[in-house]
Amino acid sequence: MTSLDRSAAPTRLKYLVALVPLLCGLAGAVIANIPVSLLGGLVPPPLLALVPVYFWCLVRPDLMTPAATLVIGFCEDLLSGGPPGVWTLSFVLTYVLVARQRDSFASLSGAAAVLGFAAAASVTCACAYFLIAALYWHLPLLAPILSELAVTVLFYVPAAMLVGAIHHRIVGPLRSDI
Amino acid sequence: MANAWKIARKSSAQLPLVIVIALAVVLVLLGKANSGIFDQARMRITDWMAPALEAARSPVQGVGRWMGSITEIFSVYEHNLRLKEENARLRQWRNVAIVLQNRVDRYQALLHAVPDPKMNAVLARVIGRASRPFLQTMVLDAGKDDNARPGQAVMDARGMIGRIYLTGERTSWVILLTDLNSRIPVSIASSVNRGNAVQAIMTGDNTAMPTLAMVPGTVTLHAGDQVTSSGDGGLLPAGLPIGTVVADGAGGRGAAGRAPPAGRGGGALPSPPPAGGARRGPPPPGGGGGPKPPGPAAPPAGARRHPPPRARASGGQACGQAACARRAGGCGRRRGVGP
Repeated sequence: MTSLDRSAAPTRLKYLVALVPLLCGLAGAVIANIPVSLLGGLVPPPLLALVPVYFWCLVRPDLMTPAATLVIGFCEDLLSGGPPGVWTLSFVLTYVLVARQRDSFASLSGAAAVLGFAAAASVTCACAYFLIAALYWHLPLLAPILSELAVTVLFYVPAAMLVGAIHHRIVGPLRSDI
Repeated sequence: MANAWKIARKSSAQLPLVIVIALAVVLVLLGKANSGIFDQARMRITDWMAPALEAARSPVQGVGRWMGSITEIFSVYEHNLRLKEENARLRQWRNVAIVLQNRVDRYQALLHAVPDPKMNAVLARVIGRASRPFLQTMVLDAGKDDNARPGQAVMDARGMIGRIYLTGERTSWVILLTDLNSRIPVSIASSVNRGNAVQAIMTGDNTAMPTLAMVPGTVTLHAGDQVTSSGDGGLLPAGLPIGTVVADGAGGRGAAGRAPPAGRGGGALPSPPPAGGARRGPPPPGGGGGPKPPGPAAPPAGARRHPPPRARASGGQACGQAACARRAGGCGRRRGVGP
């Protein structure tokens, strides 16, 4: 019995740790969508939730599953106040692209890694733009979505460092057999 | 890592992806068909987050005020002179308004006219603002408990800035006039031909200047024309000041002014006059035939003599620390929260 308890506790811990990427994505969506702006609304908030999706889709696709991406995208939709489903579908389509081209994206490092994320974020923003255009039946201005893309890419480096630290400290050691 | 890659690359792993994509598409379609479910969820979240938003707002506002004070300290003297001048001008306008109000009251008494319905207001604080690429909204700390209702106009010190589109128990979401989804019927009072009001639709496009659409082709708008709500459709009361017409900058159509961003200026100061554009300010208290107001706003320098009918209206950009919901015969005053 004692040995059973000992083995059950780490398993539960492993399952909790497996939720960390999802929780990071949800936290990113919440933080980015707090409707308080330090810059008075001059700059749109970054898509912080995309960073965990991109990062763990490359590093641990078994933890950042399509379903987790769907939940994160839905949270982004719910909190951002826009038409429902736009960011959800954009995130999922980006996930598809990154998952398909994982070899190419995962081999990037340094500035090229930032460019890789920029490409993924471009896909997300382009999807959202065309979905909005289809829903409202006219093309919105490009400048706001481009500024959102720029801010997201700008925030990628610090956000990726944070996500990387979380991965190495929490997720990484337990990655063998979850 | 290799194990994980194998998991993701198995053919069966593609099945959830297809299902997830289908679910996402269903979400988009469901949101288009009936967004009420999502709106309720949003309002519950916002109501739940309201105390945190209010707590987060204070330090952000403090930092903004402190940063603003650093730059303003060098121009206090000029500001003081300008404010004194403006104060003197406003006092003259106030006298004009009192004279005109007395005259209107007298005419109404002579004609036994039915008085205009009283507009009640709820004062509320802006506790958050979302400026997303496809969305210009803000959150007020007044909800159903304060008799705020969807459709009510939201005003700050400069005029109407949006309308409520979602109300929770304690908070409301406001769709700004600059939002992509905002469309309201407006009335444009010509500054040249007094008494001729033009009906139009003001549509937001996520820029600081909403566009005036559906303007009759035979009408010529002039920079400086006053834009007010027309009240058509019965959703909004008529006559709420919105802004002034500025010439469209595209294709040599003139320049457009920019209202101050949120959180700056306390919501009471008008935006600076744009280069070649029109000045935003309160509408003249009288239409044609009234006493000439002192210190009339001169036609803006650089405005085109005959701009095309399609023009933009300044305003609609939220800047207020406080806003109030208004509606003819609507909610009663419940509480007053100063900025």
